[in-house]
Amino acid sequence: MKQKSKFRWGMIFVYLFIAIFAIVTVFPFIYMILGGLMSYQETTTIPPTIIPKNWNWSNYQKVFQQAPFARYFLNTFITASVTTVVTLFTSVLGAFAMTSLKFKGKGFVQLVFLSLLMVPGEAIIFTNYNTIAQLGLLNTYLGLVLPFLTSIFYMYYLQSYFTAISPTIYKASKIDGASDWEYVWKILVPMSKGGLVTVALLSFISGWNSFLWPLLVTNEDSMRLLNNGLSSFANDAGAQTQLQLAAATLTVLPVLIIYFIFRKQIINGVVRNDLKA
Amino acid sequence: MKENQKKAWLFLAPSLVLITLFSIWPIIRAFLMSFQGGPLIDMHFNGLQNYKYIFVDPEFWRALKNTAIYAFVAVPVALVISIALAWFIFSKIKHTAFFETMFFMPYVTSTIAIGIVFRYIFNGEYGLLNFLLKAVHLPQPDWLDNPSLSLVSLIIFGIWSSLAFNIVILMGALRNIDPNYYVLANMYGASDKEKFWRITLPQLVPTIAFLLTVNIIGAFKIYTQVYALFNGQAGIGNSAMTAVFYIYNKFQIVGTPGVAMAATVVLFLFILFVTYLQRKLMKKVNS
Repeated sequence: MKQKSKFRWGMIFVYLFIAIFAIVTVFPFIYMILGGLMSYQETTTIPPTIIPKNWNWSNYQKVFQQAPFARYFLNTFITASVTTVVTLFTSVLGAFAMTSLKFKGKGFVQLVFLSLLMVPGEAIIFTNYNTIAQLGLLNTYLGLVLPFLTSIFYMYYLQSYFTAISPTIYKASKIDGASDWEYVWKILVPMSKGGLVTVALLSFISGWNSFLWPLLVTNEDSMRLLNNGLSSFANDAGAQTQLQLAAATLTVLPVLIIYFIFRKQIINGVVRNDLKA
Repeated sequence: MKENQKKAWLFLAPSLVLITLFSIWPIIRAFLMSFQGGPLIDMHFNGLQNYKYIFVDPEFWRALKNTAIYAFVAVPVALVISIALAWFIFSKIKHTAFFETMFFMPYVTSTIAIGIVFRYIFNGEYGLLNFLLKAVHLPQPDWLDNPSLSLVSLIIFGIWSSLAFNIVILMGALRNIDPNYYVLANMYGASDKEKFWRITLPQLVPTIAFLLTVNIIGAFKIYTQVYALFNGQAGIGNSAMTAVFYIYNKFQIVGTPGVAMAATVVLFLFILFVTYLQRKLMKKVNS
C-alpha cells in the first residue's frame, strides 16, 4: 500500500515538472503573439491581460507604417538565401575534394580547418568589419554576406554524408567517363539530399537570426536586417509595448513556420553534427 | 599508389580564398592590432599599452567577472534542469517528439525578438513575473532597472534559452543507450531511481561533458542576449557588462580598436584553453 502511494507522488512530481517547464518554454511565444494584438492599455494594466478583448490587427499596420519592415524582410530574405545557396555550393565542392580526391597537402588543409573550427566567430568579426570597410562594402548586400559564403562547419557536416557513399561509385562513374564536376552534381548531390536540406535549413535560420555582423556593417536604415530593425524599432517605439510585440512576432513567425514544417530534419541535423564534434 | 590530384585545389579554391580572407587573416590581424593604438584609419605600434590598459580597467574586470559568474551559474543549472527534463520525457512520456519539438523552439527563434518579450515579462511595473510573485506574496524587485539584479535576470534568460539545445542533444544520447540494459534492470526489479543513477547517468557522461564545455564556451561569447534584454545597453550603469560587449563597446562606440583587440586576444586564448581542456576531458571520458 505504502509503496504504491509513494509511486503516485513521484509520478505527479514528474508530470508537474514537465508541465511547468513546457509552459515556461512556450508561454513567451504565446504571450508575444497575444500581446501584439492588444491595445496599449491592455499591455500595461495590472493584473496583466492574457487574452485581448479586441484583436487589434491594426497594430501590424502601424508597425509597417512606423518602420520599413517590408524592406527589412526583403533584406533579410536576400542575405539569408544568398548565404545559404552559395555556402552550399562552396561547401559541396570543398567537401568533395576532401573526401574523394587524394592530393599533396590534404593533411595540412585538414589540420588548418580543424584548428579554425575552434576559433570563436566573435574573435574575428571585428577585424572582418575592418576588411569590409576597407573594401568599401559597408551598407551593401555583398558586405553583409561575403564572410559567410563558405563554412568549414558545414563542409565537415557534408563530408560525413559523402564518406557514407562508397568510393566504388566514384570509381565506376570515372570509368563511365563522367568528369568530377558531373559526378558531384549528378551523383553526389542527389545521393546526399538529406544532408544538403539540413545544411540549407540550418544556414537559412542562422542567417535569418544574425545580429552582430549586420549591426556592425550597416548603419543605413534601408540596409538593415530584421533583427537590427527590430531592436532599433524597440528603442524608437519606446513605450508602445503592443507594437514592439507585434514586430517581434513578425520577426519570429517565418522561422517558426519553417521549423514546424521541417522540425525533424532540423532537430536531427543539430543532434547529428554535434554528437560528432 | 601515391596520387596527387592537383584538381582538388580547384574544388577547394572558393572556400580557401574566403577562409584565408575572413578567418585566417583576421586572426593574425587581431593579434597585430592588439599592439597598436589610435583610430581604425590611422593605427600605429604602441607595444603592450593596450594590454596594460585592459588589465587595470575596472570595466574589463567587471566584464570578465560577470561573464564568469554567468558561465558558472547558468550553465550547470541549465544542464541539471535539462537532464531531468530529458530523462522524464524519455522515460515517462509516449509522445516524445511532441515535447522535443516544443522544447526546441527557443533554439531556432531570434534572441532579439524573445528578448523583447522577456523585457515585458520582467517589467517592474506591469510585468507578468512580478504579478505572479505578488500573488504568492514574494517580493517584487525591479528586474531590469536594479543594477544588482541585472545579472540575475540575464542568467534566467540564459537558462531559458539554453535548455533547447541541451534537451535535444540529451534525448539523442538517451535513444542511443542500449535498451537491453533497462530490460535487464527490470528483470532484477530495479526502481526508476536506481535505473537512472546506475545506468542512465553513467551512459550520459560523455554527452554531459560535451554539453558542459560547449555551453561554457558559448557563455563566454554571450552578447546578443545582453543587448536584447537591456535594449542595446549592458544593463543599468553597465551592470551586465560581458566580455564580448566590452569588446564591442571599445571597438565601435569608444573607437579604440587596439584595446578591443587586446581584449579579444585574451578572450580567444581563454576559449582555446577551454577547448583544449574539452579535448582532454573527452579523451579521458571516451577511453
